[in-house]
Amino acid sequence: MKVTVQQQQLAHGVNIVSRAVTSRSSLAVLSNILLKTDNGRLRLSATNLELGISAWIGAKVQEEGGLTVPGRTFVDMVSNLPNEEVTLTVDDRTQTLNVKCGTLNTDIKGISAEEFPPMPSPDLDNAIALNIENFKEQIQQVVFAASTDDSRPSLMGVHMTFDGNTLEMAATDGYRISIAKSEMAQKVPQNFEALVPARALAELSRIAVNGDESVYMTFPQGRGQVIFHMNDAELVSQLIEGSFPNYGAIIPPSFKTRTVLSTAQLLKACKQTEIIAREGSYIAKLDIQPEVDGEQSSLLEISARSEQTGSSEVMVDASVDGVPLLISFNIRYLREALEVIKTPTVSLETNAVHTPGMLRPVGDDHFSHIIMPINTAR
Amino acid sequence: MRIHKLSDTIASQIAAGEVVDRPVSVVKELIENAIDAGADEIRTDIRLAGKELIRVSDNGIGIPADELELAVSRHATSKLSRTDDLFDIKTLGFRGEALASIGSVSHLTIISKLDGVDAGARLSVDGGDNSTVSLVAAPTGTEILVEDLFYNVPARLKFLRKDITESRQITGLITRYAMAYPKIRWTLTQNNIVDFQSTGSGDRFEILQTLFGTQEAKSLMPISFKDRNLAIEGYISDLTLTRSNRKDITLFVNGRWVQDASLTAAVIRAYNTMLMVGRYPVAVLFLEIPTHLVDVNVHPSKAEVRFREQEDVFSGVQRAIRRGLLAYTPVPDLASLNLWGRTKPSDVGDMRFDNHWQAMETSTETEQVQKRLAGPASQQQTLPGTYLPLLRLVGQVASTYLIAEGPDGLYLIDQHAAHERVLFDQMMAQYHASMTPSQQLVEPLTVDLSPEKAGTLEENLEILVGLGFDIENFGANTFLIRAIPTIIDRGDPREAILSVVEAFEEDETPLLNEAQARIAARVCKRMAVKGGQSLSEAEQRNLLLNLEASQSPRTCPHGRPTMIHLSAGLLERQFGRRGAR
Repeated sequence: MKVTVQQQQLAHGVNIVSRAVTSRSSLAVLSNILLKTDNGRLRLSATNLELGISAWIGAKVQEEGGLTVPGRTFVDMVSNLPNEEVTLTVDDRTQTLNVKCGTLNTDIKGISAEEFPPMPSPDLDNAIALNIENFKEQIQQVVFAASTDDSRPSLMGVHMTFDGNTLEMAATDGYRISIAKSEMAQKVPQNFEALVPARALAELSRIAVNGDESVYMTFPQGRGQVIFHMNDAELVSQLIEGSFPNYGAIIPPSFKTRTVLSTAQLLKACKQTEIIAREGSYIAKLDIQPEVDGEQSSLLEISARSEQTGSSEVMVDASVDGVPLLISFNIRYLREALEVIKTPTVSLETNAVHTPGMLRPVGDDHFSHIIMPINTAR
Repeated sequence: MRIHKLSDTIASQIAAGEVVDRPVSVVKELIENAIDAGADEIRTDIRLAGKELIRVSDNGIGIPADELELAVSRHATSKLSRTDDLFDIKTLGFRGEALASIGSVSHLTIISKLDGVDAGARLSVDGGDNSTVSLVAAPTGTEILVEDLFYNVPARLKFLRKDITESRQITGLITRYAMAYPKIRWTLTQNNIVDFQSTGSGDRFEILQTLFGTQEAKSLMPISFKDRNLAIEGYISDLTLTRSNRKDITLFVNGRWVQDASLTAAVIRAYNTMLMVGRYPVAVLFLEIPTHLVDVNVHPSKAEVRFREQEDVFSGVQRAIRRGLLAYTPVPDLASLNLWGRTKPSDVGDMRFDNHWQAMETSTETEQVQKRLAGPASQQQTLPGTYLPLLRLVGQVASTYLIAEGPDGLYLIDQHAAHERVLFDQMMAQYHASMTPSQQLVEPLTVDLSPEKAGTLEENLEILVGLGFDIENFGANTFLIRAIPTIIDRGDPREAILSVVEAFEEDETPLLNEAQARIAARVCKRMAVKGGQSLSEAEQRNLLLNLEASQSPRTCPHGRPTMIHLSAGLLERQFGRRGAR
């Protein structure tokens, strides 16, 4: 193999795929990045067998071929090259990659490209096209709610429901659920569900560039995988097997109290409270007070106390419609949900001490977030 | 050189070497005789570390005048008559060698008077030669004088240690026997100065205080253990009192002080890694074993013993100590934990709001006080100063251990055991405060059990609810978990519930006699981070911080160590920076 590429493009591509490189693996080739000529471009790939990422960059191909080189070494090498043309030459006999750039001439020992696990290729004819910008936002609205605890693997995934031309995504760690909906340009031929690792979606939203119009999503037959294809990058992930909570049944059909607040003010109040609450299992009390005629305007009071740190109370102006309520939530869950709400006002809907509360952006029914309360009295 | 029979004198001097090799062994033989004689007062006078004079006088039964001469002859004893007796020895002495041996290497004088007899009798032995028995006036009991010990064996004399060492050993011996026989009034004078005295009140702790000082004695806790063939009583040190050698592990088997290396090792092993490397506990243990199961006739000085069921004895010792140690693991103090509801509400803010807090507090505090008064918490003695010093996190190793630096060296911390301890402390503190916030679950988790296990769970449901689980029977053998304690933030709650029922019978934590503590320990064990889970730096730091706040940070609730301490000194020695050069 002999190719010439631009350093900036190479650095960009290497940066994208490096996230799938494993540092601790019994299989040496999994710590490597694959470099391979592919239809007049240079393909870079890395995989940890659960998640695989490929990136393509423009190249002047003088000779076809490929090699895998240690990821860490190559990443550091490329990022320190001058912004010039880089010539990459593989010596097939010694399995060595020669990197020439400016006055620099380096040889990196590699492992044969044959040993790199094959990556599935997407069937783009049957792919679901998603608008990248919308999809990225949708991902950001749910991934944070997924569990990072591998004792319950199905909660580490984002549940995707394709129904006609809507895509509903949901993630939960067992204590809160984030649900985001979007409309797709076309209907799916057949409704279906999939459980995609939250980590894969988080990586996708990192590498997907808004300049790309669409991301194409395919599910290769019988492989338990999902492929996200973009113009110059591709991400393959194993799907999670297992049942996802039937979250539709958890959303209360109606609420007794609806509290409307300024998103920014509530977020600020949550952040302030969290400083104290984080020392006490993140427990915060929300005191929802409707207007008392002529005496007091309606408001929400958030408080927390911790044996070590102290206590905190903060009041937020609110328009409360319904009955008063004193309810406890994990303040971190509230804060994280508010951080992905873009509308200026947000509604918090509640019923009773032991029933879930729901956060929704006012004027946008694409997002809802359900938080289970904490029982403090016993 | 011709072969000839040794003269009696030399033969007995050689034999004496086995029984009597230094002043302290003379004292030992004599006080054991006094104890066997049923004395309740034993007085020992020592001059010049015993080289000049050893006098032991008791108020025991005495020796009849006509038996005196026999008493000082070899293999003469009143304590044994048949061979079978040898395997069922109930007295301290039995070999019938002591007086003869002592007599052969010193000027020995015995004065003894029986109760009810008018006059006492006196016999002197001088390097093995008896004088005639003469009548003297004497109090009831026996008085034995050993003068000029080893006067005729200069080699022995040469090998004696410094006077101070020899006399310390005598003091050590008397105090230890005083502990073993607290009902005997003991007096020891050295060079006419009272060195040790006990009241004979039967209170061992009193003697412990004399022996170790009031301060150190506070760190000794009583243990008591009974098994089929083994009863153990005694005192062991908590984790704050340690020594740099094994010398303060004192063991008595059936009232006899033994120095048995393997038994000592069993004691040390019971402490496992709860102690720092190179530190040893202080222990005084009295083992009672049926006499036919012990062979004390191993060595003339009887310092070694053999057990017929050695494994049983060793494991008994270990269990007794382990149980004792863990029973004294203090109940976590609420004040040290991050909980709601104890500090005074702040003065600022809305009145209505404060009232709300206040209401919560009063109930909490009263309940807490009640709990403390009623519960075992109030009975348990708190161990002083087991807190960890401030630690600086260095990092994680093998996704299993944390490395931290303290002011006194390096700490290797088992993340699982440490997290278990932290969770347990928090959970128990919340339980005792009746403040167990629980996080509701999005979807209730179902646990299916066998009918038998379902029964077990049903019985303990209330405790689980008290610990912060919202769990209920959902018909037949299915249970629904609706909420879990907020302190649990990882793991599958179903497994916690399963583990509670699964090994409920074969409980490995005998120390926790309260059901809730046992259940909490089990839940925490299940929900704690496991070895092999990599933790973020914030998580590691947090774990250390919480461990520092724990009152018993060195063990997990099941008694396994949470950490190994490598002291700066040890590191220096290992790297050859100190000592060897």
